Amino acid sequence: MKCVILAAGEGKRMHPLTFTRPKVMLQIANKPILEWNLLNAIKADVKEFVFVVGYKSEMVRDYFGNGKKWNVTIEYVNQGRALGTSHAIGMVERFVDDCIVLCGDTIFGMQDIKNIAEKEISIGLFEVENAEEYGIVETKEGKVVKIYEKMNKPFSNIINAGIYHFNKDIFSYIRKTDKSPRGEYEITDSINLLLKKEEMKGIFLKEWKDVVYPWHLLDANEEILKKAEKKIEGIVEENTTIKGNVIVGKDTLIRAGSYIEGPVIIGNNCKIGPNCYIRAHTAIGNNCHIGNACEVKNSIVMDKSNVPHQNYVGDSVIGSNCNLGAGTKIANLRLDKKNINVILNGKKLDTKRRKFGAALGDNVQTGINSTINVGTTIGNNCFIGQAASVKGEVTPNSKIL
Amino acid sequence: MCGIIGYIGFREAKDVIIDGLKRLDYRGYDSAGIGIIDDKLQVFKEVGEITNLEKEIPLIKGDIGIGHTRWGTHGKVNKENAHPQISPNRKIIVVHNGIIENFKKLKEELENKGHTFTSQTDTEVIAHLLEEHYEGNLEAAVFTTLKQIQGAYAIVVMCEDEPETLVGARKESPLILGVGDNENFIASDIPALLKYTNRVIYLDEGELCVITKKSIHVFDENKKEVTKKEDIITWNVKDAEKSGFPHFMLKEIFDQPDAINQALRGRVSEIKQTINFPEEVEKLLTNGTDSIHIVACGTSYYAGLAGKYIIEQTCKIPVIVETASEYRFFSTRNKSSLVIAITQSGETSDTLAALREAKHSGCKTLAITNVIGSTATRITDGYILTQSGPEIGVAATKTFTSQIIILLLTALKIASIKNTLGSNDIYDYILRLKKLPREVRQILDNSNEIKRIAKQIKDSKSVFFIGRGINYPLSLEGALKLKEISYIHAEGFAAGELKHGPFALLTKDTPVVAIATNDSTYNKILANISEIKARGPQVIAIADEHDVEIEKHADFVLRFPSNSTLLSCVPITVILQLLAYHVANLRNCSIDKPRNLAKSVTVE
Repeated sequence: MKCVILAAGEGKRMHPLTFTRPKVMLQIANKPILEWNLLNAIKADVKEFVFVVGYKSEMVRDYFGNGKKWNVTIEYVNQGRALGTSHAIGMVERFVDDCIVLCGDTIFGMQDIKNIAEKEISIGLFEVENAEEYGIVETKEGKVVKIYEKMNKPFSNIINAGIYHFNKDIFSYIRKTDKSPRGEYEITDSINLLLKKEEMKGIFLKEWKDVVYPWHLLDANEEILKKAEKKIEGIVEENTTIKGNVIVGKDTLIRAGSYIEGPVIIGNNCKIGPNCYIRAHTAIGNNCHIGNACEVKNSIVMDKSNVPHQNYVGDSVIGSNCNLGAGTKIANLRLDKKNINVILNGKKLDTKRRKFGAALGDNVQTGINSTINVGTTIGNNCFIGQAASVKGEVTPNSKIL
Repeated sequence: MCGIIGYIGFREAKDVIIDGLKRLDYRGYDSAGIGIIDDKLQVFKEVGEITNLEKEIPLIKGDIGIGHTRWGTHGKVNKENAHPQISPNRKIIVVHNGIIENFKKLKEELENKGHTFTSQTDTEVIAHLLEEHYEGNLEAAVFTTLKQIQGAYAIVVMCEDEPETLVGARKESPLILGVGDNENFIASDIPALLKYTNRVIYLDEGELCVITKKSIHVFDENKKEVTKKEDIITWNVKDAEKSGFPHFMLKEIFDQPDAINQALRGRVSEIKQTINFPEEVEKLLTNGTDSIHIVACGTSYYAGLAGKYIIEQTCKIPVIVETASEYRFFSTRNKSSLVIAITQSGETSDTLAALREAKHSGCKTLAITNVIGSTATRITDGYILTQSGPEIGVAATKTFTSQIIILLLTALKIASIKNTLGSNDIYDYILRLKKLPREVRQILDNSNEIKRIAKQIKDSKSVFFIGRGINYPLSLEGALKLKEISYIHAEGFAAGELKHGPFALLTKDTPVVAIATNDSTYNKILANISEIKARGPQVIAIADEHDVEIEKHADFVLRFPSNSTLLSCVPITVILQLLAYHVANLRNCSIDKPRNLAKSVTVE
């Protein structure tokens, strides 16, 4: 059976990180979200994949190729115009019969993919605390009655998890689907058309990790790292402390005085220390440098980025190819200990987190002793001048002096 | 000049092709057509814009097809002359951009063999020849046919008996391949396929390609397969859309601060106080620039004229500027002079012909163009990209100012090589160049005055533009902008030339736009303005923000920020563009697609 993974979205709510990459290519524990889904689906015995791509599709194609690296086949279909999920799935009509479809930007578990694969015409369900953000599914005796769009006061907290098992019939319903009020062709509308004629089983998922905003990456990162097993391939100098499950990639050098508390993953070819403190739930990509007197906690530092001299990075996401100047620090806690707000695309959002630092897009450079306030987002290619203090939303290509 | 597109894959070919044609209509839009194989071959054509065609096509399925938007060169604008052109047995169809020079001879030969032609196009000959040569292999038939053809072409061919294959070929007209997954595209230009893929392959001169859903094979003229490299296009679809402006032209005028930055990007080092170009360009500028020959057409030609003033003033070497279409007819060539071709699209066929001529006579050649991979970049010894992004409005705006910036940088580079400017002077220019985006922004932000003055001239039958020195080419450009989009007759003159004839045309109903900069020409232009005023016309002056004197002479004054005269040409141009735009807008003209004009002219 083929598995269709929807990977075309830009992920505007993931700005500034998605200005330069599609959402599915965001790295969690040093692997793109899409790769986690691929790996789980492979474990669930899926061997043929169709990726529906669009925004910056070349990055997906460059990374995954034809799937040979994973011993599977991957075909690509470019969605062309981004006209909604129903339109995206409609694209693959010529390439699949019976198939699983899953949203590539949500992480699904292996067992759940297997369960969905076994039940023809089914939909994955998940119980969440705050269902306002999702489509609500009304069920009766294990069968789906109707899917509702996001609602302010949901009558249930069972949501559409974004994983389906369809047969060929779905495409006839997709063709009949009209544009939704927000101007897109939604798969939920197609499913509601299907439900008038056919039955669809609801299958409750055990694992489900939705990542919408940059700070959700930290939760997903933590969850995946909790399952990590210790594996040291790099060189660790004497007088280094490594506690718990720490993964150190090839050609990475951990210099003396480094104190690392797992679970932590450090990629290949990094320079760590001397004398740095890397705390739990941190993922450091390939070719990174964490230098002297730096503390990194519960953060994601993407490839080729440097946290080199006397820096503090806490509960933050740092894009690739960034460089922090000596003494640049990122605040991650309000003095009044209230939830941290973030301004994203001009809109103020409550992260519902007490601790969140900043999200830096790619190629950001900061000057010495600059300070970055809690909840700051900095677009790609920004310069933050020496001793500058930034907060709020910094648009890409800005210079803050 | 036409736009062509072909599609093979899994989508509805009709949708992809219509969509692509709409993005190619800057290449011409007098008629359009589409051919689709849906069990059998079906062809639809309509006169007028692509929406006319879209309305006429019935519900049709089919995942392979070709389309064409035409800007006629042979025959009237009618359905018969629209493409695709069809073979007599109605099995093979072809879309074509270019001109078949020996088509009359070929047509006669075919007519003697009993062929009857239904159109006046040169293209129909190709369709007939393909049928003659077809023996079950379209690719072979195209090879044989192309051997008989002389002239310029980009073609895409489709045959009912081979519904899995498209064959394309090009010579002197543009054609690119879009690489997809389980689908492939072929088109005249990137915007036609950018929605579906950003992976492209540029076909080179004389190459032929065979495309199926899953494969692309490219062959050279000797049928030898060539390996081609895929390029990733980094503009997105949005870059090619209007982003909220009522017209592409206005959007592109407003793009200019950014476009200027783009043109400067990577080339100006403030720290080292130097100008940097790619190695081969620097080599061209270092060796043998005793004199320079600039060849170009239209707006690019005016950029070239401005370049003459810039280069001669800063580098002290003679510069000759030639209209590309006339260059061939001059018989002397100085081998030691560098030939610089300016062409936005890199495909302007007159300019390419001049370049080939220059190469042939042993001159070194340099292209200034906006399109990477274009023919101009491939046939020259070096090229400098203006990096302005796609320009959709037929009237060139941001590409003109970017060309000027490149010419300024080129001049400064030569001046530093030849030591005609000291490093302090060069540094001073670099700082002033960096100020330009802000100065242009200032003009864009305060364009209400320009709008007001546009009202004064919108009902004129004729408008004159005058200037001296570098302002002379600007007055030519100002006049060109006004005439091409507002259809008002406009002429640019060197201010001193007015009294040698054109004065006879001045009446109180002929407004004159006079460009006055505070340099050695200032007093003379004031005198010219007075002479004009004495004959009754209203004078609209474009002057320095600190110029008080001008108020006494002109009826209206439009201001630009003070800078050195050579650099003021950029903000002045922006004023002229906005003036033309607002006049055309008040006259409800089709600004982005003026009548009878096409964006890049790929026929001579």
